[in-house]
Amino acid sequence: MPSTPPTLGDFTVLPISIPPLPSFPKPTTHYLYLRRNTPKIPTPTDSRSLFLTNCPVDSTDIHLRSLFASLVGPGRFESATFEDERKDTAHKLSPLDAAVPVNAVHLLRAHGSTKKRKREEEEDAERSKEDEAARLPSTWTRPLRRSGSTAVVLLADEKSVEQVLKACAKASKTKKYPEWGAGVADKVPALGSVWVKQHNRLCYPDPATLQQAVDAFSAVFARREKEAAEISKRLRNEPDEDGFVTVTRGGRNAPASRSEAEEARKKMIERAEKKRQEMEGLYRFQLREKQKEEQEELLMRFEDDRKKLEAMRMKRGKFVPEA
Amino acid sequence: MDSGPAKRRKLDHSQDGAGKALEAAVSTGGVSRSRAFILEAEELLEEVRIDYKTAFEGADQLLHKIKSSIETIKSQEPLPILEAATKFEKKSKIKIPFPDPQPPKNSNYKVAFAKPSQFNVVGSYVSKTMVKTQKDHSVDMIVVLPQEILQEKDYLDLRYFYKRAYYLAVVASALQKESGDEAELSYEYLNGNPLTPVLAIQPKSPEATDEGSKGRLQYRIRIIPCAPEGFFPKGKLHLGASLVRRGRDTESETPAHPTAFYNSTVAAEGSFLSYLKLLRQTEKKCAAFKKACILGRTWLQQRGFGGDISKGGFGHFEWSVLLALLLQGGQRMGHAALSTSLSATQLFKAQVQFLSVMNFSEKPCVLGAENVDLEEHIESGPILYDYSRGLNVAFKMGHWSAALLHQHAKWTRSLLSDSSADQFTPTFILRADLPSHTFDLFAHLNYSDVLDQVIGNDYSESRGRIWQLGSKVYRVLKRALGDKELGERARVVHIQTPEQPKWSLAEKPKDQTRAALEVGVLFDPVNMSRVVDKGPSAGATAEEKEECDRFRRFWGDKAELRRFERDTIRETLVWKSTTPFEICEEIMRYILALHLRIGHLEDDISFYGNGLAVLLSIKPADTTSYSVARKEFSTFERDIRNLDDLPLRVRQIAPVCPELRHASVKPPVFGSLKSGPRPMDCVISFEASGKWPESIAAIQRTKIAFLLMIGNLLENSKQGVKTHVGLEDAHFETENLAFLDVVYESGPAFRLRIHSDLEESLLERQVKDKTQEQYLRQRATTQLAAFKRLYNNLPLHNQTINTSITLFPALGPTIRLVKHWFNSHKLSIHFTPEFIELVTLHIFLSPYPWDAPSSPSTGFNRVLLFLSRWDWRSEPLIIDSGNELTNSDHFAIVTRMEAWRKIDPGMNHTVLFVATTQEPTGIAWTSLNNEPKPTRVVATRMTALAKAACRVVREEQLLLDPRRLFVPSLKEYDVLIHLDPKALKNAMRTYENVDPAEEVGEGRGSKFKNLDVVTGEDLLPLVAHPAEVLLEQFGKVFGGPLVFFWGGEGDNVVGAIWNPGMERRVLKGGMLASYRPGRQQQEGDGEDKVEVEMNKEAMVGEMARLGGDLVERIEMR
Repeated sequence: MPSTPPTLGDFTVLPISIPPLPSFPKPTTHYLYLRRNTPKIPTPTDSRSLFLTNCPVDSTDIHLRSLFASLVGPGRFESATFEDERKDTAHKLSPLDAAVPVNAVHLLRAHGSTKKRKREEEEDAERSKEDEAARLPSTWTRPLRRSGSTAVVLLADEKSVEQVLKACAKASKTKKYPEWGAGVADKVPALGSVWVKQHNRLCYPDPATLQQAVDAFSAVFARREKEAAEISKRLRNEPDEDGFVTVTRGGRNAPASRSEAEEARKKMIERAEKKRQEMEGLYRFQLREKQKEEQEELLMRFEDDRKKLEAMRMKRGKFVPEA
Repeated sequence: MDSGPAKRRKLDHSQDGAGKALEAAVSTGGVSRSRAFILEAEELLEEVRIDYKTAFEGADQLLHKIKSSIETIKSQEPLPILEAATKFEKKSKIKIPFPDPQPPKNSNYKVAFAKPSQFNVVGSYVSKTMVKTQKDHSVDMIVVLPQEILQEKDYLDLRYFYKRAYYLAVVASALQKESGDEAELSYEYLNGNPLTPVLAIQPKSPEATDEGSKGRLQYRIRIIPCAPEGFFPKGKLHLGASLVRRGRDTESETPAHPTAFYNSTVAAEGSFLSYLKLLRQTEKKCAAFKKACILGRTWLQQRGFGGDISKGGFGHFEWSVLLALLLQGGQRMGHAALSTSLSATQLFKAQVQFLSVMNFSEKPCVLGAENVDLEEHIESGPILYDYSRGLNVAFKMGHWSAALLHQHAKWTRSLLSDSSADQFTPTFILRADLPSHTFDLFAHLNYSDVLDQVIGNDYSESRGRIWQLGSKVYRVLKRALGDKELGERARVVHIQTPEQPKWSLAEKPKDQTRAALEVGVLFDPVNMSRVVDKGPSAGATAEEKEECDRFRRFWGDKAELRRFERDTIRETLVWKSTTPFEICEEIMRYILALHLRIGHLEDDISFYGNGLAVLLSIKPADTTSYSVARKEFSTFERDIRNLDDLPLRVRQIAPVCPELRHASVKPPVFGSLKSGPRPMDCVISFEASGKWPESIAAIQRTKIAFLLMIGNLLENSKQGVKTHVGLEDAHFETENLAFLDVVYESGPAFRLRIHSDLEESLLERQVKDKTQEQYLRQRATTQLAAFKRLYNNLPLHNQTINTSITLFPALGPTIRLVKHWFNSHKLSIHFTPEFIELVTLHIFLSPYPWDAPSSPSTGFNRVLLFLSRWDWRSEPLIIDSGNELTNSDHFAIVTRMEAWRKIDPGMNHTVLFVATTQEPTGIAWTSLNNEPKPTRVVATRMTALAKAACRVVREEQLLLDPRRLFVPSLKEYDVLIHLDPKALKNAMRTYENVDPAEEVGEGRGSKFKNLDVVTGEDLLPLVAHPAEVLLEQFGKVFGGPLVFFWGGEGDNVVGAIWNPGMERRVLKGGMLASYRPGRQQQEGDGEDKVEVEMNKEAMVGEMARLGGDLVERIEMR
């Protein structure tokens, strides 16, 4: 094995030795790359967090905790956030964000926010509670990480960051690589058949739990719908700073369903189409023009065929009968 | 003939220009395809054309030389035949090729030699209608025997042929002396006719090694002795005459059999020159005649037809004579059937049309005269009678070859009238004579033991005893399998007689009794599966009695009387076998043994063509289990419709899975205890309602509530039903989140998903909404595609396949075989099942150059052929199941594909393009989640595998062990993951109330099954097969660096290939694979560009960790 460089670019390399398995009886080495976390939008905890890339696919909080414990002793590791769990990634939507009526998205974004900002903090707590309630149960006991993905590890203090990076360098120098998953076997859910079976079982959650999640969602959704309705009602009567009154959907009564409107439009188009068809071929010049068009198209296609043939000729052997 | 005078328009192909092109386009019907056909045919003519100067270099000189050396042969005085023969053979060491029977010992007629009265070069060398792709090229020179050595009576008892053979031998000996080492001389039969041996001279080309490069062909010159024109009286040679009287035991008693073939051969001997004249005249009259002949030659050649008796006796000569006769006046009311101003393709089409209407083996076809009745002679062979020359042009054909020719013409005609299909390739390019693609059953008859018993020393049939046996076999089989009263079981019965190779001058012709007689049968799939044959009813009238007698005589002891409904008593045959193939085999074995004593021994007849079906053990009972599944589905549908308290009315419940459309590899089985229930997918849609919330996420939640309610209602209203609401592996709140599994106590289980029409319009709105952010619109597009697939396309697809299955009985089994092939080669993970079904359906809807396959094995072979030839880079696959697409639809589809290719020339988003009537966008079945399925790499692999399979099939034909086509090659894979079948089996069982983590300990602990705590519990349904779940996770995690190959459940070896484009990367946060520091020597000049290389071992180790006990071992190469 070639000796590993302690750093690569601004990353510190941490080799991890992976114990062999009966199905692949060969010890391997995995390389974790660490550096100080410097996100584009700074957060208060940046100074005591580390950015990891190339995490093993079976990483868990517990794995990393044990790994860091073996490097700098226990108690320094606070938490880990994996790539797919980060809030800023647009991949996951919380059910609360989704629980917005389509027609009210813009309204709420534009006009609902002013009200919200005032009580942001108290709402935050409530929000996460609601979110939790509306979330559907997970179907996996243990999520996997995409190969080569990243994580952010939060440590106890700034000093620990320094220590960890030093310990990494030392590990690669002395070739005493920490072992992956040492002593965590009992603490994390198993993989393999148990994991697959548990998935199958978790796919069929208790109906009552499911019902609760749906209800929680509906409650939020109904509230938002009501909010939106109120806002739109308010807007209809209130001129804005420039003195304009926003035109909102719906008359005095409830706003018309958009699907109904679409249906009506479809019908109208159909009617127009029918009328147009009836008028076609009424006059002689129309017929003549149509014929002319058809002929032109024929000609064009004939030329097309010729071109295609030319292309086919390029691919040799197309015209030789098979032996 | 349908080419009326209205269509006769002078076509000048040499002129160009738009106006002419348009005229050409209009005159041929104005359909794009037929225009393409004309252009392509022109191209073909150009491609196969032979440059006579270089190809036949030296042929003319050689002919002159031969002519002069024959002219210098000394004349011989007449000698008694036997005396002359012994003398000659002793002197020259050359055998005289006397036809059988050899000249009698006591004969006293004399043979002599004199200078030929005429030489002439005939055949396609003079007309220049040979093609490059011909099997062999020969220059035919006729040598007309002088009148003075013949007598008029010589047409009797082969005397002419004895004299001819002697003459030929004399010529041969002279030429052999003359040519020395320059050429190789041998005998061969002219067109395989044993009466007419000819001399073949193969010049030894000095540059034999680089023969191909210089364009010189390996031609040979054939010396054909023949009779002077009109020497034998035409009147004596009519089809009914019996001219071979010798060889029967006593001449007097039995009335002599007519010797139609012999008579026609004698007639043909005297008409070489008149046909030469006819063809030359026609060439002059009709400009396109030659080209039409070349097209005809190619068409016949690709169907295995040729002038040789073993090739059906209908070759280029017969084609051109027939065409010439049709172009000649004096057909109907004195008019020619075809106009001489037609173009080559039009002539070709007209001739095919003619052949498809006329069946020479059933009704005599007389050209050149009216009111000539030859009906009585049809027994002896097909008749295509040229009245003015007095020759039956089709005399070399057997009944079977005429029937097959007729059939091929019919198929080609239907192809030429199908404007949406590619007409050119099946007509001229594809080989349509491969038995494995053409016939549903193929048999080899081993007749050497029975030849003497059945045929004896009967020489009245000049085509030889094997041919005679063949025609007997044909007659028996035609009666047994093609009985119209019982319902024709076989559409075509074909006999293939062995070919007679050339032999050297010093020997006798090689004995052919060792070669096998081959029989091909094409099924009528409906009738062939009939187990009970109802014969004539046993009535009291003499007529009925006669009928029954005949039936009994033919069928022997197998015929028995049985009583049927409405008290009819009928002669009946009952067969024991079940599948069409086995029934056919049983009938053939029985009837051939009964009438011809072939097949008493098992290995007398060997059957081929069933290997594929046996491989998958396709049984008729499978159909029943599919119908059971359908029936259970109807019950399920009724149960749902009967629910009273549903808030919306059910509009439709549609099945969307292969099990409910006869298309799963294994027929559905219910109630297995080995695994949790495997629910069959269905979708339910309700009447339009305004109650759905106006938000996709809210709709998804509402669906869950709905499913919970349906489940509750079902459990309450029906006994023995258990329901489970399951969660999808969804990423977004806006995707479908849940399904309902309904498990019946009796076994069947169904998976229900709800269709909401509002969801579709909301998604559409999102896609079109320009104010949305790009990634949201992209996501909406993907979701809309998934929505359309599941709720719109799949139900329709199910319907299409189900209707087509009733139309084509062989479709279901063929689909299963093709799927099995995809599975065996680990491709199926990359293909949607619907794609495979549609490809197979395409073979049935557009089966050219054949008819729709009538057995799974021909169907399977043709699917492979299609896959190997499909140029998916530039051609869309268009499946028009309802025959509803118009030309402009086709055009639009092609244009759409071209547009795709223009946008995405690297084929990263769209690869295969499969459009159907309901789904003209073309990518519903070949892409998933905005990714192509399959990718270009996999599609290329599919083509390569199909090509390899086709090559093996073509090379080995019937000897091929079909299992070989299904053996995966593992050497291409970088990583092989061996799954543990036991652990997988265990993973198929999960319980509602037992945590799998604990269950493992207990399950292993108890030794006795009945003490197992678990046993009492109900099994949960399977969300998906465990291996599938695992593979899906692998795909998610390692989708970048690895491409997985897996053949679906049952395949325990997963192959994987590293993505070569990802070997090295620059280190940065967030990569797509696991990387390790690169080797030291490479120097990064910029600090921030540090290269790392793929850490393959670590990733394999990770897979081992994820798979745990499900993975037995992983091989890395």
